[in-house]
Amino acid sequence: MIQLAFIMLVVAALGSLYRIAAGPTLADRIIALDLALISLMGGIAIDAANRGTARYMILIVVIAIIGFTATVAASRFMEVEGRERQHHAHQDPPTAAPGGSS
Amino acid sequence: MNPVSQVIVVIGVGIILLAAIGLMKLKTPYARIHAAGKASPVAFLVIAIGVIPEVGWRGGAEMVLACVALVITLPIGVHLLFRAVHVARPEHDPQLDELRAASRRSESASDT
Repeated sequence: MIQLAFIMLVVAALGSLYRIAAGPTLADRIIALDLALISLMGGIAIDAANRGTARYMILIVVIAIIGFTATVAASRFMEVEGRERQHHAHQDPPTAAPGGSS
Repeated sequence: MNPVSQVIVVIGVGIILLAAIGLMKLKTPYARIHAAGKASPVAFLVIAIGVIPEVGWRGGAEMVLACVALVITLPIGVHLLFRAVHVARPEHDPQLDELRAASRRSESASDT
């Protein structure tokens, strides 16, 4: 049963790694990284319950806070970049060529 | 581990797996962020319900702390991601977009 849970976690993490590699926008990569971190947190929790020790469990709190910080920083970066690109496209429409995949 | 805990943990991991399948299969960025951002804190809460009886008082306290941190912070991050997609990728706008119409109205009001 525990082995089944770990196998499902590995499959979920591989799916989010596929989305990190292939995602067309930056937001897809950020949310896929978040899902991979959450599966890592679940793996640490299940392993602690399986061994019956709480020694490494503070790692889960640390990973949660670091993941939030990374999400906020990267989404602010994406928002500022998109705003600048639209501002340039608004200023001179004939020469602007947006639509490059980031 | 006790069998009830094992079943609850497997249910939680199944929710994470459903979120990953949604992240792989859905078509637009809004749908993908919706699938992964809504399901993952629920999955972690279900895993915590299964794990807490096995790890004693100290581990249970740390698990509750992690759940509180996740439930407070993850919706904020997902909201910022939706906003970033709305600002940076106008080609993915849905059919009915009231935020875009309202921001255009406020821009034209500030221009005059």
